[in-house]
Amino acid sequence: MRRSFRIPNLGGATALILHRPHPTVTSIARQLAAIDITARECWPDLPPDGIAADFIFFDADLGHDEQFPWKPGEAQMPMIALIGSEAPGRIEWALHQNADAHLLKPVGNSGVYSALLIARRTFDARRRQSAEIDELRSRVSARQTIVRAVTLLAQRGIDEEQAYAQLRQLAMTWQMSMEDAAHHIVKWSREGKAGERTDIA
Amino acid sequence: MRQLVEVGILYSRSGGYALISNACRDGAIAAIADVNADPDSPILFQAVERDPEGNVDRYAPLAEDILRNSSARHIVGCVTSWSRKETIPVLEKLGGTLWYACPYEGFEANDRVVYTHACPNQHLVPLIAWVVPRHGPNGFLLGSNYIWGWETNRVARDLIADANGEVFGERYLPLGETDVTRLIDEIRATRPSFILNNLIGPSSYAFLSAYADLARQDPYFAPESCPVLSCNLTECELPALNGNADGHLVVGPYFRNVAEDLGWPLAGARRCASSFEAAAYSSVRILAEVLANAGGGEDTDFSGAFAGHAFSTPCGPVRIDPRTHHASLPVVIGRIAGNDVDMLEVRESVEPDPYLSRYDRTKTFGRPALRVVS
Repeated sequence: MRRSFRIPNLGGATALILHRPHPTVTSIARQLAAIDITARECWPDLPPDGIAADFIFFDADLGHDEQFPWKPGEAQMPMIALIGSEAPGRIEWALHQNADAHLLKPVGNSGVYSALLIARRTFDARRRQSAEIDELRSRVSARQTIVRAVTLLAQRGIDEEQAYAQLRQLAMTWQMSMEDAAHHIVKWSREGKAGERTDIA
Repeated sequence: MRQLVEVGILYSRSGGYALISNACRDGAIAAIADVNADPDSPILFQAVERDPEGNVDRYAPLAEDILRNSSARHIVGCVTSWSRKETIPVLEKLGGTLWYACPYEGFEANDRVVYTHACPNQHLVPLIAWVVPRHGPNGFLLGSNYIWGWETNRVARDLIADANGEVFGERYLPLGETDVTRLIDEIRATRPSFILNNLIGPSSYAFLSAYADLARQDPYFAPESCPVLSCNLTECELPALNGNADGHLVVGPYFRNVAEDLGWPLAGARRCASSFEAAAYSSVRILAEVLANAGGGEDTDFSGAFAGHAFSTPCGPVRIDPRTHHASLPVVIGRIAGNDVDMLEVRESVEPDPYLSRYDRTKTFGRPALRVVS
């Protein structure tokens, strides 16, 4: 079971607040200071070192794509939307930035800590899922290669089931995925080198 | 001409945790008397007292009553975190400030609250760090079914994992429940290295009594072998325990014996009987000093009043962190002996870290032993 909680190690982290000077910014900065997070206000654009921040709070009311030095939705850190007007277009824009959590304005005495933890968790989950999806996609696209490799191995006088077992055995011996092993076999066959490989004979 | 200042007192005179809330009340009332008796103080306090009678739903309405129907802007009060969290929205709405004089589970730093007792880096973390090398890392966690127990045990789970220990059990009782048979059976069966007790009032008393019986049957459960740890047990509850807690371990910013031995300042002419009394006493004295320095208006800028200032309290000089409104406090680890607590270790003036942002596993438990990674 995945543990649901670790003493969150937020001390020493940095957060940027992309919002025009406003009591809401003061309130967020105060709450961040209590958690021992270094906060910096910026407006209208993120500074160049913004890319190294651990968290970004951004204004959903007056924000626009050009404020960020990355394509919409491609931030490399958790993003927290500061929502004043609940106009659907503004919410849609904040979602387009991949907001991982949000705070409603005006921000009072609390809310920042839960927003940080929710944003961090959502961001990590999204990242993990997109890595898993990439991995699965490349596996799906390798299916044809596996079929070809099994066929090639089966041409050496064994049936398909044995050929598949051999492919799995080779992948283990070579310490790579079956997809990669199949890719090598197909490549060597195409280059006419398969005969030189005694291990796949 | 001294300025008359009304100050709210919101402590339950009855109910499950009455011993604690009465100890807090004693401290606050004594401090008001001492401020009023001091001819040099420009402040003359008048208490506006309300009694929630241990009913959590009465705190918010009574806080509202104080803030609406008197001139008081400051309330000294609340014992349970549940009641504090119920009261905070009223403070925010009406611009009041709560002086909270009890240990709590941390992860809060409200602008409208001043926290004058310990948070986890000043109670739970040093207590577990002291116990693990002496008794072992495996804990059994107990709590009353509300936020203090849940959150304190949650941090304890992480600390135990960091100490390479295991949580052998985690059990909660409804507030006021005194049937502890099952807890005792589970503890007997699992044989942990220590028990963390976050039970409150009658549940805690019933557990400690039953655990003392268990120790008489099986010496493994004697306090010197498998101690019960408490972060909120003080002298004010010991008479109710009839010696059942003897030998078990506690942590706090203040114990009467320790203050006596180390020559900490008296509270006026007397020695506070417990950390609850001391923290409530400190709260009122600090408030008086802040108001005196502000020279009138009660809508004080606390951050300015707290910055760079040490207040004289029964725990010695105490600073309040302007960023978190939490107090820097001594950390005393003690062993219960009758109606008193003997000192085992003392650290003076530990800075508050309510979000455990500066928690460091290696500093707390030393270098981790190598673990098999599968």
